[in-house]
Amino acid sequence: MGAGANELIVRLTKRGICAFSGLIVPWLTFAAPTWLSLSSIGPCWAVLWLLPWALEEGQFSAVIAGLCLGLVLDGISLDGTSQIPILMALGFWWGHFGKRGGQIERSLNLGLLAWIGTAAFGLSLWIQIVIMQPQGDLTYAWGLKTLLSQSIITSLLAPMVCSWLLLFWRKSNLS
Amino acid sequence: MGVPSWGELFRLRYWLRVWPWIFLVGVFSLVRFSKGAGFSDAYAFLSRPFWPGSAQGEWVQKGIQIEHLARINLLEQDNKRLREMLSLQRSSGREFLSAAVISRTVQGWWHQLVLAKGERHGIDRGNPVMGPGGLIGLIESVTPTTSRVRLLTSPGSRVGVWAPRTKRHGILIGIGTNRPQLQFLDKDSKAIPGDLVSTSPASTLLPPNVPIGIIQSVDTEALPAPEAVVQLTAAPEAIDWVQVQMN
Repeated sequence: MGAGANELIVRLTKRGICAFSGLIVPWLTFAAPTWLSLSSIGPCWAVLWLLPWALEEGQFSAVIAGLCLGLVLDGISLDGTSQIPILMALGFWWGHFGKRGGQIERSLNLGLLAWIGTAAFGLSLWIQIVIMQPQGDLTYAWGLKTLLSQSIITSLLAPMVCSWLLLFWRKSNLS
Repeated sequence: MGVPSWGELFRLRYWLRVWPWIFLVGVFSLVRFSKGAGFSDAYAFLSRPFWPGSAQGEWVQKGIQIEHLARINLLEQDNKRLREMLSLQRSSGREFLSAAVISRTVQGWWHQLVLAKGERHGIDRGNPVMGPGGLIGLIESVTPTTSRVRLLTSPGSRVGVWAPRTKRHGILIGIGTNRPQLQFLDKDSKAIPGDLVSTSPASTLLPPNVPIGIIQSVDTEALPAPEAVVQLTAAPEAIDWVQVQMN
């Protein structure tokens, strides 16, 4: 087993709970709690997990996390669209911000980043749907409603969820 | 592991260091290409104590009675027509399997249900899924113990339908909203709001004469053929148990 593998094992052992928290994303996607929704549309759980992960872990890890998360979420969603490209792109972008440390981790900043990220996530899916299954005006109205509702509910939750995850992961790393 | 420079990516030594990551991505790729088999099955296993019970029984029965009345009417008309034609003999020996809904997404980017029965129970891709009120969707993918339903409202859903009153065929297309769009195949659809939409009596892919919805509005100016908005008779957001028609 190479040095890379040992490093990975140590890293994963140290951050067992952090890695485990990533598994909650597909589970929450399955469960889709109706009480936590805006206009019947729930938050983008992938964004709520990937944002603090990228800020904490940096670009490379965030891109890989985006890829892994995208693969799982594509697996549990209907065919026709893919979440992988946008999650990888968001991981790359947020990982870059992660270098700036505390400035980015204020509640308002987290909310804003989550809002932009969810809007980009929705836009990516919407474009794929429009290209692959072109429809009429009603599709555009539905897409806009879904995009706005999801980005608003995600950005409202982000300051709470992302701050908590960041604190939790930092505590885990320190101990 | 620090952040690598992009030039490093091309060095052989770097690839030796990152093989665990590649392995990890490989594992998740397997999850992707198995349509989330491990995740869906684990979710089904762990959420078993929370599966819907029989509390909805009476409500479901009422819905089934209404559906049966509508189906009887359609079947009578169909039988009459078939006797006149002296053709199209179809078997009625189909099997239905009841399955609990363990995950539901009826709004958002995907409109899908996850059922607590899968390949092991004989469910196959393309099987029609019915709830109290009529058809709600088709099986999109299956894992050993779960199956995923693409709802009629989901973008990408296309089902051939029939307007019994006017005897016109059409395609019901999911557009993401609660009410799918019906594209008629004939220019002269003769459809009016209130008309019933059902599966075609001659369908080989779907069970014949199953109610789907009621036409809510018709756009006769649409090109190349009229379009209608259909209100579905079955409400996926309120259904805890469905019936899957087996092959």
